[in-house]
Amino acid sequence: MSGAVGREPVFPTRQSLGLMKSKLKGAEIGHSLLKRKSEALTKRFREITRRIDEAKQKMGRVMQIAAFSLAEVSYAVGGDIGYQVQESAKQARFRVRAKHENISGVLLPQFESYTKEGINDFALTGLGKGGQQIQRCRETYARAVETLVELASLQTAFLILDEVIKVVNRRVNAIEHVIIPRTENTIKYINSELDELDREEFYRLKKVSNKKQRDVAAADAEILAARQKEAERLAQNGTPAQEAKKAEEPEVTDVLGEQEDTDVIF
Amino acid sequence: MEGLFFNVNSGYLEGIVRGYRNSLLTGQNYSNLTQCETIDDVKLQLGPAYGDFLASLPPNPSTSSLAGKMTDKLVSEFRYLVAQATGSTAQFLKYLTYGYMIDNIALLITGTLHERDTRELLERCHPLGWFETLPVLCVATNIEELYNSVLIETPLAPYFKGSLNHQDLDELNIEIVRNTLYKNYLEDFFNFVNTHPDFAGPTQEVMTEILQFEADRRSINITLNSFGTELSKQERRKLYPEFGKLYPEGSLMLSRAEDIEGVALAVSAIADYKTFFDAVGLNQGGGLGGMGGSDGKSLEDLFYQKEMDMSKLVFTRQFTPAVVYGWMKLKEQEIRNVTWISECIAQNQKERIGNFISVF
Repeated sequence: MSGAVGREPVFPTRQSLGLMKSKLKGAEIGHSLLKRKSEALTKRFREITRRIDEAKQKMGRVMQIAAFSLAEVSYAVGGDIGYQVQESAKQARFRVRAKHENISGVLLPQFESYTKEGINDFALTGLGKGGQQIQRCRETYARAVETLVELASLQTAFLILDEVIKVVNRRVNAIEHVIIPRTENTIKYINSELDELDREEFYRLKKVSNKKQRDVAAADAEILAARQKEAERLAQNGTPAQEAKKAEEPEVTDVLGEQEDTDVIF
Repeated sequence: MEGLFFNVNSGYLEGIVRGYRNSLLTGQNYSNLTQCETIDDVKLQLGPAYGDFLASLPPNPSTSSLAGKMTDKLVSEFRYLVAQATGSTAQFLKYLTYGYMIDNIALLITGTLHERDTRELLERCHPLGWFETLPVLCVATNIEELYNSVLIETPLAPYFKGSLNHQDLDELNIEIVRNTLYKNYLEDFFNFVNTHPDFAGPTQEVMTEILQFEADRRSINITLNSFGTELSKQERRKLYPEFGKLYPEGSLMLSRAEDIEGVALAVSAIADYKTFFDAVGLNQGGGLGGMGGSDGKSLEDLFYQKEMDMSKLVFTRQFTPAVVYGWMKLKEQEIRNVTWISECIAQNQKERIGNFISVF
């Protein structure tokens, strides 16, 4: 029956009509809920985009400062300290904790950075010269990494939200453009089928009553014809015994219909 | 008298070094360098002084490769000097390289401790600190083997003897090992220039002053840098060279210092250091030392400045191999300066570009 959206493969019964109606209602509620969710997510998404922009610009500045402080170190120490630092670092001082944030049912990972005080593996690097620059450079880089962590959590949230928003929008569109029309179609179909059935039933009943009427009429006519024949035969014979017999007989038949009797007497 | 026979053996050497000194960058060169817009411009400006050493660099080289090429030039010039030197002068030049050797050995010890392939580290070693038995260090796989069979063969063995054993290498922080070695080296060098008969006269005077300054600088730096670390006061004291203007009273006070005021108090007896501390005291603020303000000089800067002044003054003396020391320090500072300037240019931080030390 009808259109690109088609309809559900159901038997057009009153039960499935009820099912379809509740389904339509559910779809409408779901649609409005999902729409709201998508709006909430989009709002959050925009906010995150804005914060990513800020964080990226901040990162640019911080990384520049950090790179420059490294230049200061290489000026003060007059050599490459990379290897020493790499080898003497044993434990992470700067750590990242992951948390979950729930935004309208979407779990967004959130990274939180913290420094573990007391871990200072290369505190003695540059003891002879440049130690202060190295420590300051470390602090600058710690700040830079902080910014990076912030950016990382924003970026992850960005990606996940993007995905989720797409899914939600797809669902909203699917409900709006496929499920609801299809359910409506199905309801229409069931309704029309049911109407059809009603009409058929009515027609059938009408037919039946017509036929009954016709049958009754035919039966009446037969009886009438039989009586006329009887009357004619009586009129031809005219014997009194028979007449008496006849007289008795009509009296029997009189029970069925008196008026015919008068006709017969005539 | 000391000049009478000096030129027989070392006259050529001294002449060469004075020639090298003339090729050092001057204030004019530096102001040209600070005007540069790109590293290529810097390269161009360095052309007259460094010539073909920079020629092989790709366009817009990185700062580190630029510095590497400049160091190559220093190294090749120094090697030429070593090749020309004889007798006590050769010995003196050898002493100059010991400082670099200490760095190299510290690097290799770090590698061995962490069970890295130390062969890769050979490339990272400073070429001036290269000695014949250095690659042998890579053979050792554990620290005991390294100590017992390999370090003994190095020129630095006397510095290990008596103050460090193989457990120390394992347990102590490599920085403490390095600084202990450096302390022994400075003391040995000091002893060498003061006792060798050839160096009586200008060399002894000049080098004594320079080495005393170096020793004091290390003491002060170690003290400042050890604040807030696990380095105990007794350990710290062991790292102070046992000579210098601060020794013994100043060193003792330094070893007891707990904060920057304590250090300032400890060095207040020496007029030079007192002025340094007074100069940086204003912008010291919350943090320790350092380049507090963008225009303010740090203690480190002031020490470098002083070192450069002393190195420059060495050239007023004649008949002494100390000019080689002066020239090397000046050259190293020049490399640092150029690195700084190109770093500033590369990172677009022009406001700090004047933060170098130019002596000529």
